[in-house]
Amino acid sequence: MANMTPAQAACKEYEEDLVLYYYGEYSEKGRDRIQTHLKNCSSCSRFLDELRALLPLTVKIDEPSQPFWESYSREVRQKLAAAGEKTSWWEGIFSFLRPWRVPALATAMVFILALTLTLTKGTWRTRGDVPPKEETLLEVLPMAENLEFFKSMDFLDSLDLLEDMGESGVA
Amino acid sequence: METSRPEELGDEKLVTLAQKGERKAFEELVERYKQKAYRIAFDFTRDREEAKDLSQEAFLRAFTHLDRFDQRASFYTWFYRILVNLCLDYRRRGQRVTWQSFEEREEKVAEGNEIAAAAPTPDRQAMSGEILRKIGAALNLLPPKQRTAFLLKNHEGLSISEIAKVMQTAEGTVKTHIHRAVTALRQSLAELV
Repeated sequence: MANMTPAQAACKEYEEDLVLYYYGEYSEKGRDRIQTHLKNCSSCSRFLDELRALLPLTVKIDEPSQPFWESYSREVRQKLAAAGEKTSWWEGIFSFLRPWRVPALATAMVFILALTLTLTKGTWRTRGDVPPKEETLLEVLPMAENLEFFKSMDFLDSLDLLEDMGESGVA
Repeated sequence: METSRPEELGDEKLVTLAQKGERKAFEELVERYKQKAYRIAFDFTRDREEAKDLSQEAFLRAFTHLDRFDQRASFYTWFYRILVNLCLDYRRRGQRVTWQSFEEREEKVAEGNEIAAAAPTPDRQAMSGEILRKIGAALNLLPPKQRTAFLLKNHEGLSISEIAKVMQTAEGTVKTHIHRAVTALRQSLAELV
């Protein structure tokens, strides 16, 4: 027999399968393979007999009586009731944080914020609140006025030039 | 509660109702699984009071964390996971299993425990306290994962795939755990067969 060692009662390649076979965990193909092997291998047959003798001994059954189960159920009901009462006050507070409520709450907050900002536009603004874009515009505006001024200056220069030309022409 | 009686509803429906705050629905789940839960806890502890406390605690935790339960899984797999973790945690905390013999237990019961003890079967009577202690000690020596897989298979008769779901591991790993556990028990208890 292949792979037998003195410490093993079954063929090494069959040992795990025999344990599963004992528990009825096998495929049809696997069962046929094991059964064929068992017919020809006394070591594996003995191993299986050993499992059949030993493993049921390890089960220690406790079968409590009906009063035990009645008491059991009563205690569980009391514990569940107590747990329900204990959690109800904070559940009430945190119920808003339940998964479906979080996005709804966030959407409502954004909507209220947007509405508030739209309706109160300009009323709360101070110098410090001016957005950067508008701040730049405020800085550019005086410069533009200056530009107009300088454009006027150009115009005056042109007038001076015409006068000079006229004078020279007259002369 | 809907028009159907809780005992007529499937686990899935009961869980949905319990998640909506119907405690009666969860109480029906307790009725449905209390014996199996107790038995698993007893497999780990071999002590009636500890098994009762642990299994009740598992129900309580399941109830308070019901919002975390994913309906795609089955309730009992999820619940067994809670229970097994509690049992393993109980062992990790260093609680020593007393391994009382049935004789000792029955004496205790006779001394006034209102809960009647199970009538001993002929098999049990034939087993001496010494043998029970040896078996208990051999099981106690198994690493937690091997022990869990072995108990769920050997004592509770769960399928390999169910055990894999409870232990959140691959089926191949479960098979290995069971095989190793059986090998270790054979070595420890060779004298019994």
